[in-house]
Amino acid sequence: MDIISQLQEQVNLIAHLAFNTIGTLQRDAPPNRLSPNYPEPPPHPTEDGSNFSEQPKLMSAGLVKAAKQFDALVAALPISEGGEEAQIKRIAELQAENDVIGQELQKQLEAAEKELNQVQDLFKRASDNCLNMKKPE
Amino acid sequence: MATATYPPPPPFYRLYKDYLEDPKSAPEPPPPIEGTYVCFGGTYTTSDVLPSLEEQGVRQLYPKGANVDFKKELRSLNGELQLHILELADILIERPSQYARRVEEISTVFKNLHHLLNSLRPHQARATLIHILELQIERRKQAVEDIKRRREEARSLLNESLATLDGQ
Repeated sequence: MDIISQLQEQVNLIAHLAFNTIGTLQRDAPPNRLSPNYPEPPPHPTEDGSNFSEQPKLMSAGLVKAAKQFDALVAALPISEGGEEAQIKRIAELQAENDVIGQELQKQLEAAEKELNQVQDLFKRASDNCLNMKKPE
Repeated sequence: MATATYPPPPPFYRLYKDYLEDPKSAPEPPPPIEGTYVCFGGTYTTSDVLPSLEEQGVRQLYPKGANVDFKKELRSLNGELQLHILELADILIERPSQYARRVEEISTVFKNLHHLLNSLRPHQARATLIHILELQIERRKQAVEDIKRRREEARSLLNESLATLDGQ
């Protein structure tokens, strides 16, 4: 896939990871202690435990990894600093060179075709003479 | 139950009755459309240009100008995005009811990122064109060399056969 499409995919991946991270943490976070008067709220038995405290670390590591990959892809962009005018100038130069070469190719092609016709004609005449000189049996 | 019939096809086929005998008696095909046109009730335009961010109502975060340094701006937008995500996480802890502004800022950063990447596409198209032209020039040079070589070979073969025939 070309690099710009890869960059676009990476941006979408970062968006995906970001809303997954925030959404999961927001949904699964254990309730917070509101005031020193009330006791610590009871922890939810099923989802929490050892899984939950690692999730922020894992998900944020994934997010940072995706961001670093985006930076690496940006560094790999083959942009020349000339800008639009330099590219258009180069295209015009290449077109001119292409025309010159095309005309030379055309010339060579015509000369080669002419020679081919000459050789074919001579061969025809030579073979006719060869046939005509054969004595009838 | 009432069934609606489809509309009949346009009656232009009658104009081409004598097309086989006289191709000029039938009308020419319509010229290509320029500007805007209406198709199935929707207006479309023939010029496919990327609408700028202001037209879409999105704030532009990178500097406007003729030549934008794409790599630098992409990297700085990436950093800003990470910062905004962190700010969102912070504000969800401290003042959770004010998430909306942060979310809106994050979406603005994303829209800017995508707009920058889309505006790289014309550059990519021109670079592809340059590459194709270079390849074509290379191929044509190769073809010229090939033809020259073959002509020389044919000429030398003919001379050789002439010499052989004369030697008989």
